[in-house]
Amino acid sequence: MEQHEGNASRPADDGWWSGRLHELWSVADRTQDVTGLADLLYDMLLRMPGVLAVVGTRWSGGLLHYLRGVTRSEPTPSYVELEREYGEPTAPGARHGAHAGGTDSGPDGDPAVTVHEMPELDGDLPHVRFLAAAGVRGVAACTVPLGQGGRASFMVGTADVSAIDGTLRTRLKQVAEVTVVSDRRIMARRQNEMRQVSDAFLAEASLQMDSSLDVEKTVRRVARTAVPAVAEGCVLHLRRPHGLTPVAFAHMDAGEQQWLGEVADGDPWLTDVLERVVDGGQGAVLKGEELVGGPFGPASSGAGRAVRALSVNPLMARGRTLGTLTFLYHRVDMAEDASRFLADLAARAALAVDTSTLYEQRRRHVVSLQRHLLPRELPRVPGLTLSSAYEVGDVSLDVGGDFYDAVPTARGGVTLLIGDVCGRGAEAAALTGLARHTLRTLIEDGSTPEQALGRLNQALVREGTSRFVTALLAVLVPGGAGFHLRYWSAGHPAPLLRRADGTVEELTAHGDLLGVLDTIEYGSDAVRVAPGDALVLFTDGVTEARAADGTFFESGLRTAVARQGAGGPDGFAGRLARAVVRFRAAGADDIAVLVAQAEVAA
Amino acid sequence: MSGAAGEPRIDHDLVWVIEDSAEDAEAIQRALSRTHPHLTLEFTDRGTGVVERLTETARRPGLVLLDLSMPGLSGSAVLRAIRSRPELDEVAVVVFTSSTEPTEVDATYAAGADSYIYKPVNFDLFRTVLKGAVDYWQRKAEDGDDGQPPS
Repeated sequence: MEQHEGNASRPADDGWWSGRLHELWSVADRTQDVTGLADLLYDMLLRMPGVLAVVGTRWSGGLLHYLRGVTRSEPTPSYVELEREYGEPTAPGARHGAHAGGTDSGPDGDPAVTVHEMPELDGDLPHVRFLAAAGVRGVAACTVPLGQGGRASFMVGTADVSAIDGTLRTRLKQVAEVTVVSDRRIMARRQNEMRQVSDAFLAEASLQMDSSLDVEKTVRRVARTAVPAVAEGCVLHLRRPHGLTPVAFAHMDAGEQQWLGEVADGDPWLTDVLERVVDGGQGAVLKGEELVGGPFGPASSGAGRAVRALSVNPLMARGRTLGTLTFLYHRVDMAEDASRFLADLAARAALAVDTSTLYEQRRRHVVSLQRHLLPRELPRVPGLTLSSAYEVGDVSLDVGGDFYDAVPTARGGVTLLIGDVCGRGAEAAALTGLARHTLRTLIEDGSTPEQALGRLNQALVREGTSRFVTALLAVLVPGGAGFHLRYWSAGHPAPLLRRADGTVEELTAHGDLLGVLDTIEYGSDAVRVAPGDALVLFTDGVTEARAADGTFFESGLRTAVARQGAGGPDGFAGRLARAVVRFRAAGADDIAVLVAQAEVAA
Repeated sequence: MSGAAGEPRIDHDLVWVIEDSAEDAEAIQRALSRTHPHLTLEFTDRGTGVVERLTETARRPGLVLLDLSMPGLSGSAVLRAIRSRPELDEVAVVVFTSSTEPTEVDATYAAGADSYIYKPVNFDLFRTVLKGAVDYWQRKAEDGDDGQPPS
């Protein structure tokens, strides 16, 4: 190897060259990526006298990313992606410079041009093979540093080393310098764009995440928004009792979706990477050799071959790691410089997952609480068919305050109870539980309905709550054909009695609300329930249900009871409740219906 | 990639954009002219007739960008029609929509879309997303069907 520095020029084509060089600088100034620049650059060098081929390579350490080349016979640039490891550049020696090499700098830091005979070069290197195939015997090489620790190496091949004169060396150096400046500009522009895009992406992803409180939907939206804005593929794992579980995955390519789902679900190499990130609490970017042994990278088989880098970030919220956010990149540079953004995105996603999880937990609590406020099943009472229905008013998370129950009593009878705590939410739920269990326990222990209601009133007054409660107790005792009914009302809507012939009577009863006054008076009355008659108890959600035109269900309640009762004793309450739901325009209040129908002797 | 003699040629530098919104079409034009100046874009503002023209044209686009919500013949209907023609298998269809609703994504993939792309509001992001989609399918076309880099 010998160093050449020459200033010889060819006056004849100097004008042509400086024109092209000027063009190259202006392309470098506005180009978005190196491809446009490369086409021009290779063409310029190929047009130099005696040049048979031009080849350029892009390196990070010993990793050769790709080569681009032109030859006399094939002047359209060919691009070959390699991503292959050739080892760190060797110490200065026979093959230095010819192997990607460290950058060769002159004394003043300028890139230096080295000249080689082909046999000096490592014939295993793909760009050397490329030159050899074009019949090259002499090579001028120039390697320049690029951003992110990368290097570009340019080689111009001639038929003989003697054809490499000072002009060719100078010109090779000039275009290499343009590459350095252009690369710097591209990097700066890309970083700036990336910041803007990252900000915009975070804003849009946040919007998407906020549009659903369902955990699975939330994470699927995150994954979908990120592809291809961030990367070609995205997988989101959440920690579940049996380990990290993929809950969402999105791929740029519909054809790769299934593969990605399979890899995400239990590939041992990936699982190991994810667990290390979870344990370490730090994001990681894997590329090149770091991908070896896994389902990704050029060395792998299957759809993962196109993946060039992988980033994994832990999803952490309130000090806990909820899972991982993984991106698959088909281009290495996409993964670089994004660590801060990825951490931001992961934090935002973790927050959304956490919120959704809390919401789901709360909803489950509400559902289970609501279940405890209502009897699991109604007792069987000889001679009576009991049916009940409960319709939740709206989709809000608050527990409603309606309750009902049926307590079998001695002598084959039953005490029905129904009530309503005003308002919704945790306090209403607590009072609802208190009311139902107090009444039920006292009735079971043999208290009379007046005593039971009185004790409940005292308990509520003692609680000092601002909420009031309405309740109605109905005692049915078998007697003759049918039942004797006696009922006590504490401010509760009057029940209806549907006679077997379809006529409907209101069982008026007034009485004070519970939880307001120390001593109260109840409305009470008695009536006979004949075979086929049905006692219909309900809460004010039924009477106060409103249609779109403003009419209340109350106005048509008797007709509805007459009609729904005609369908037989089984499911009577359910049919009536559904009729209310169909009627109302917006469901504000809960609805409870409890029906006891005396059976007609067979 | 190329078919038998006489069959229409697939041009991977030609992109058909089926988009009813003039604003969105302009944004696509502006974005791709910056990131992929060599591409030829052809715009259509309705789904009606797209499949017929795709079948008849001598120069088929390598890529179709399809807006899902259009009046008249919807994007999904166009998608299903394209996928019902085996001769159009090599045309990649990238569906654009402003929804990330998982059920819509599933339905679109089931109908045979090659990509489902969320259409962001921010222009810089929109350009990035478009670039990602076009780059992907162009690379895929260059690499050939087996996904291997050419040697």
